Amino acid sequence: MELIDKLSILADAAKYDASCASSGAPKRSSRGKTGLGSSNGMGICHSFTPDGRCVSLLKVLLTNFCLFDCQYCVNRRSSNVPRARFTPEEVVRLTLSFYRRNTISGLFLSSGIIRSSDYTMEQLIQVARLLRETHQFRGYIHLKAIPEADPRLLEEAGRYADRLSANIELPTLTGLKTLAPEKELDTIHSAMSHMRQRIDAANDDAERDAKRLPRSANPKRMAPRYAPGGQSTQMIVGADATDDRTILQSAQHLYRDFRLKRVYYSAFSPIPERPAGLPQAAPPLLREHRLYQADFLIRGYGFRAEELLNAPGNLDLEIDPKLAWALAHRDDFPVDLNRAEPAMIARVPGIGLRSVQRLVDLRRLRRIRYQDLVALRCRLETLRPFVVTQDYRPTDAQRDSSRLRQSLTQPQPAQMALW
Amino acid sequence: MRNASPLPPSCAAWANDFDEWRAQARRLLHAGVPPASVTWHDGNDGHDDLFSSLELPPTLPGSTPAAIRIGRDQLTLLGNAARYRADGHDQPRWPLLYRVLWRWARGDAAAMHPADRDGRVLHQRWHAVKREAHHMHAFLRFHRRDEARGERYVAWFEPAHDVLDLAAEHFADRMGGSRWIIATPHGGVGWDGSALDYRAPCPAAWTEEARTAAERANADEEHDLWRTYFVSTFNPARLNHRVMTQHMPQRFWRHLSEGDLIPELEARARHGGQRLAQESSVGRRKGKALPDARTTLSQPSPDDEG
Ligand code: SF4
Repeated sequence: MELIDKLSILADAAKYDASCASSGAPKRSSRGKTGLGSSNGMGICHSFTPDGRCVSLLKVLLTNFCLFDCQYCVNRRSSNVPRARFTPEEVVRLTLSFYRRNTISGLFLSSGIIRSSDYTMEQLIQVARLLRETHQFRGYIHLKAIPEADPRLLEEAGRYADRLSANIELPTLTGLKTLAPEKELDTIHSAMSHMRQRIDAANDDAERDAKRLPRSANPKRMAPRYAPGGQSTQMIVGADATDDRTILQSAQHLYRDFRLKRVYYSAFSPIPERPAGLPQAAPPLLREHRLYQADFLIRGYGFRAEELLNAPGNLDLEIDPKLAWALAHRDDFPVDLNRAEPAMIARVPGIGLRSVQRLVDLRRLRRIRYQDLVALRCRLETLRPFVVTQDYRPTDAQRDSSRLRQSLTQPQPAQMALW
Repeated sequence: MRNASPLPPSCAAWANDFDEWRAQARRLLHAGVPPASVTWHDGNDGHDDLFSSLELPPTLPGSTPAAIRIGRDQLTLLGNAARYRADGHDQPRWPLLYRVLWRWARGDAAAMHPADRDGRVLHQRWHAVKREAHHMHAFLRFHRRDEARGERYVAWFEPAHDVLDLAAEHFADRMGGSRWIIATPHGGVGWDGSALDYRAPCPAAWTEEARTAAERANADEEHDLWRTYFVSTFNPARLNHRVMTQHMPQRFWRHLSEGDLIPELEARARHGGQRLAQESSVGRRKGKALPDARTTLSQPSPDDEG
């Protein structure tokens, strides 16, 4: 099979992984050196496909042959899809070629399970090793961690990769049992825990080195880094009946216990030869969007999953989770922007984290006026009922939440039925 | 109060870039010349150097030049806002920068805050500049040329603001030993593996070579592989035109080798492709379900057939 045909199949097979991030890597440069590639912590989206998703990495499977039969997956062994397998050298060749043309910032390599989990993991590592050692590649590498593989192999993978990820896919035991019978939640968790320990240890070493060693220290003597971009995972949304509260609580637990950098949410997209029991519906994109918003509130704003959803169920599709929380907590508002704690300002719908910082800076210089919110481009229609400034008090503060909600709900483009 | 003294006669100042502006502004500030009394000329506007010398009015009696202190963050803000290419209805950069500096020097710290009437413009400009530098890091495409001395990469890009040097530093880090040139309408830069070589205006030969390469998507046959990748990694079931164009404005498509695929992929998705996440050409290939290894242990493992 020609390389171009393999690429067509194995990129198609890899697109169900939502992550394409190239951020979080340490600063590396190839200036004046042999080899190729740099990273500076910031991710770069080199293109966007018409689904609006960022293309930052060459995201492919090494092979889509697979011994497992995960029902939600296009590559499960019982699925009648075209199969292909790259050699490690072919993946290296594509990565370097795309990288030189500036169409990618690195590689995200995953694979179906062939022969054994260990063998598969070894193959992934082989690609990363070739890139790093033979070609002195300093761009971004994200490797899939096969949870069932020997921990020794995860050790090795972390020395080449910026990021490792083991996907949870389904956050409940029953979900996994019915849809991915060969996978075990415990095995995934213990792989994550192992990676967390290695990442933490490497970060501690790096911190110590940064304090102790002079800048000119021989880099060989510095502690070897381990997956400096951290680990991430993914959960599928809408393949089974799991609700948003369960998903968010599971994410919260992953952030806390394994210090994950990111949890990705992937709206289940219809796959060919859909097994019985899986939806043949358009991917729930709006629901996925709300989960990302809630996830951001948990990571960045100090919300807890239980605050956003205090009972089993899903997030409101009509309004964003921050506004929903504010409407359910009218007693905490309006917030006086000249007095309130920054953390409380951050809870005002329509004011983002950057504006919080700017407002706090500004009130050290002078009193905050309504006009400042205009200048800072905050979302005025949303925040109006929730703030007090030197020259402004909301008039509709007395209105009840359901009427307020109505006035704040812009007609959302409904999730379209596609067929 | 200083304002009580009579306004000094107006004077003219000329600057081509931020460093020149900074030197002039420093002298004007020391001489106590208020913003309203300075007429700034910008090299970018294509003026000749009629005003190339700064005619300072005699120092005003009673105005004591105080030491001007400005932090690194403020300097970064001013310097980067100056990279913004103002067009017709935008206010020109030098008078704006000088007014901010003047206010700042007089203790008005809010002058550089994003909620201030001037500070806001500076921050918006800096933001636009950062965004454009990021666009250039992201959407610039190199095309390979094979020469007697080995391979070389060429790129054409049309940045909306003065970010060529930012991009050049980025690509020098990124491309290692490979030689390359980047040509733009406002200048060019080359890298020979060890040093950057800036040219303004851009040499005609560079422009010619880079534009030709950019206009023919298949001038470098490896772009075919990239186009295939782009098609396959797209998920038609998630079609979202608005989000895509928001992140990748249409002005960039022309010089992307995948640019012409976008309308085609969208049309195909709208006409049925949206039913599945799978790319239709992959779906047309012959498929293959695999045996359950647990029941067929003696069979060759599936990957041997790949
Ligand atoms: S292990 Fe499961 S999810 Fe992974 S490729 Fe195989 S079938 Fe798909």
